[in-house]
Amino acid sequence: MSDLLTPTSALHALREQKRAAFLLGLRAIAPGLVALTIWGVVTGVAMSRSGLTDQTAAAMSLLVYAGSAQLTALPLMAAGAPLWLIFAAGIIVNLRFVIFGAALHPYFKDLPWAKRLFIGYLAVDIAFVAFMPRFHDAPRKGTLEQHWFFLGAVIPSWFLWQVTSLIGISLGNVVPESWSIDFAATLALLALMLPLTNTRPILLSVLAAAVVAWVAQTLPLRLGLLAAVVVGIIVGMWAEAQQSPRGALR
Amino acid sequence: MSDTVYLYSAILLLALCVVLCRTGYLVFGHYFPLPPKLRSALRYAPLAALVAIIVPDVLPWTVQTGPQFDLRFLAVGVSVLVFLVTRNALLVILSGMLALWSLRGLLLLF
Repeated sequence: MSDLLTPTSALHALREQKRAAFLLGLRAIAPGLVALTIWGVVTGVAMSRSGLTDQTAAAMSLLVYAGSAQLTALPLMAAGAPLWLIFAAGIIVNLRFVIFGAALHPYFKDLPWAKRLFIGYLAVDIAFVAFMPRFHDAPRKGTLEQHWFFLGAVIPSWFLWQVTSLIGISLGNVVPESWSIDFAATLALLALMLPLTNTRPILLSVLAAAVVAWVAQTLPLRLGLLAAVVVGIIVGMWAEAQQSPRGALR
Repeated sequence: MSDTVYLYSAILLLALCVVLCRTGYLVFGHYFPLPPKLRSALRYAPLAALVAIIVPDVLPWTVQTGPQFDLRFLAVGVSVLVFLVTRNALLVILSGMLALWSLRGLLLLF
């Protein structure tokens, strides 16, 4: 056992630890990857139908890497809308990521800024969902396990998005529309959500967000989604205060 | 401005939007500290976002038509029941799809 202390085996143990955390992240995001696969194809099909050349569509999926922003911008681009309008729309559609970034900040704040840029760029919704509930109560924030768990969630997501977008761009709809395969994406998100809805404040927050999302769904630029997130946070905070005035119980 | 220049400018601007929103707080958050209570409450953001993506797909309505009943709503009900019994993600997806297809089949029969 003494060889555990030699530099090479210490290095080996470190690599094992990173690998294990990476795989945990991959496992946590797995249902989300089902949804991502379907969205990737759907977005790819939408891009090629909107009249973009295959090359432009591929560049868009590679650089933008945000399904909802891409789908919002496509009709604007097809209509030749002014660039400032496309930019403004893109910012509004992505505003929820500012909130996600604030939530993730404590876990990555000690990394060099280039790494924070890299981490943030890859931080899509499903990765946030896989990461936050698991580490919210972690006594130490910014551990090696947390970083590699996050990478295990976001790196496969990025590659899968690119592959499935390219499939959508080049092959079009692989599955007949009458099968409603897009519904499987919704169900995958449900499968990701249900096991995490496990306390009273979370349940109340989810129900409130659902009501807001239902009422506000006709708003443009995903403003309904943003409103639901804000209301979900407020109601969760309120429910927590009701349950334990001193924050002792959860 | 040629079409290609326009399209690529739009794509680069959208990429900039994504980078600004996703990385803004991660890179510059040191200058904007949040009250601890608010930061702790951000734990409610992920599931609120997720349910807000699910709901419009299952319970759609438009200004023209008002609320619309969709069989997907019933299928989600089946999925939730399957989850409560099995706690299995794959079965949640499969049971929901099967429920939607069979409900549609039933509607065609009658």
